[in-house]
Amino acid sequence: MKAPTPGMLAAGLLGVTVFTLMMVGPPGSYTPPPEPQTTGPAPSSISVNGFTLTSDTVDLPIDEQQYPDGPHADVINANCTSCHSASMAMTQPVLSADQWKATVTKMKDVYKAPVADKDIPAIVDYLTAMSVAQDGAPTGKAQDTAANAAPDASGGTG
Amino acid sequence: MDRLDAELAAETSRRRFLQNAALGGAAIAAAPALAQGITQGLTDLHLPGGNAQRPMTSAFPGKGSMILQRVHPPLLETPMDVFDRDVFTPNDQFFVRWHWADIPTSIDVDAFRLTIRGHVNKPIAISLEQLMRLPRVEMAAVNQCSGNSRGLFQPRVPGAQWGNGAMGNAKWLGVRLRDVLDLAGVKAGAVQVRFGALDQPVVAGAPDFEKALDVDHARDGEVMIAFGMNGTQLPLLNGFPIRLIVPGWYSTYWVKMLNDIEVLPGPDDEYWMAKAYKIPATPGANVKPGAKDFPTVPINRMIPRSWVTSLGEGQRIAHEASIPLGGIAMGGDCGVARVDVSTDGGRHWFATKLGPDHGKYSFRRWDAQVPLPGPGQTALMSRCWNAAGVAQPMAPIWNPGGFMRGNIETTTIVTA
Repeated sequence: MKAPTPGMLAAGLLGVTVFTLMMVGPPGSYTPPPEPQTTGPAPSSISVNGFTLTSDTVDLPIDEQQYPDGPHADVINANCTSCHSASMAMTQPVLSADQWKATVTKMKDVYKAPVADKDIPAIVDYLTAMSVAQDGAPTGKAQDTAANAAPDASGGTG
Repeated sequence: MDRLDAELAAETSRRRFLQNAALGGAAIAAAPALAQGITQGLTDLHLPGGNAQRPMTSAFPGKGSMILQRVHPPLLETPMDVFDRDVFTPNDQFFVRWHWADIPTSIDVDAFRLTIRGHVNKPIAISLEQLMRLPRVEMAAVNQCSGNSRGLFQPRVPGAQWGNGAMGNAKWLGVRLRDVLDLAGVKAGAVQVRFGALDQPVVAGAPDFEKALDVDHARDGEVMIAFGMNGTQLPLLNGFPIRLIVPGWYSTYWVKMLNDIEVLPGPDDEYWMAKAYKIPATPGANVKPGAKDFPTVPINRMIPRSWVTSLGEGQRIAHEASIPLGGIAMGGDCGVARVDVSTDGGRHWFATKLGPDHGKYSFRRWDAQVPLPGPGQTALMSRCWNAAGVAQPMAPIWNPGGFMRGNIETTTIVTA
């Protein structure tokens, strides 16, 4: 085998560098979890008239975000993270105490969240204070609507 | 401690909370989840009143770069620039919305069965292979969340705070729901057909997500069960292996991971039809902000909408006498007839040229060369008329659910 020329070496080094950079990715980029191990046979599939469906297995990201520190953060973290991310509350516009109470009550009564009645005032207090602290801009204030509606008739979601 | 001390302590605690909450708010915006892990940068949804920053993420299976509204269960919004590239939304950037967190993460295509039961002659469970052997149909159709653009409501309302990207357009390949119902044989006296799916509530006793259509609608030959999306199988987060397609109707009816069809001898009176996704029974689903105790109906047909997509909110461009402007439109429950655009906040309007027609339920591209006032702030608007002659109104509606926004949208740019 012939000795490699400087040009070949340079090309090889460049290739290794590019490959490494590609593997590392840009700074701060996310490295997705490895695909599920396919230890057994390939995933099963069905092909009919030119269209194929292949069995699928995915990993969904786990949300570790807690509600920010504050009075009663422990209560809301204990009650309001298993069914949904904290971001569901944290992305809301400014809501009044009555509106938050209607929402928390709906979670308990309609969506059967296992929230103890004694915890509801603390959760509502937390959310109301968080809501104001997040954004006090007056135009962001939501209309007080759900507050007086029956919690299961607020027509929400979507 | 005495009363003064207690008050001081409370005040200190409140200040600490506000500081922490402010920091936490920033932390939420900057890193809502696995801080180092699943987000890259922020995007601004320009929601009135603020709290509009959302992280971007590419951490979800089968999904590229999406706006992260919620990790668990996933709410992923499509960035508006995606709609400028093609009238068909790529599967890996198609919006994602789940109600319950118990979502199957593994689907075996051999084991999967779709049951058809209830008010039928012969209850059956069919395999995907049986389903795929039925006569096929393909249709382009917009799938839009009932609450798309909820974050733009003024006054703001609670709920998922979407910008305009809780929508997408795809070529759906599948079979007619009518043909599937006929396998079981719908009995005389059937009133509605209810659709259930593999996802489940996390807590016992919570209402399983199910939706229903009138039997005549279900059998109209347009409502379909799709196994293909833009030429390939559906991403799991968009409902793999099959989902209901209800052309012209809001996405709440497009049940994902559909595995159960129940023919009912009466109307569905369960939670998701009787209580949730209800709109005011008023023209345009519009009520006075704060109104309550108005009659409601289940949300149903979509209405015309359009957006400028070639330029983004707040974008700065060099001033010229005229510029090319482009975007997308949808007719709602029928085709797009016409789109006009304005570059001066609605005082003057110009005709646009419509792109290829992919069917009445599809997005349609529009383009125009339009004069620019200015230089300075410029309010770009587009207005769609559908084939039934319904035009987008200038004034926004309001309802407490934040459903069915459809007014003329404004994109403000700056030319210099």
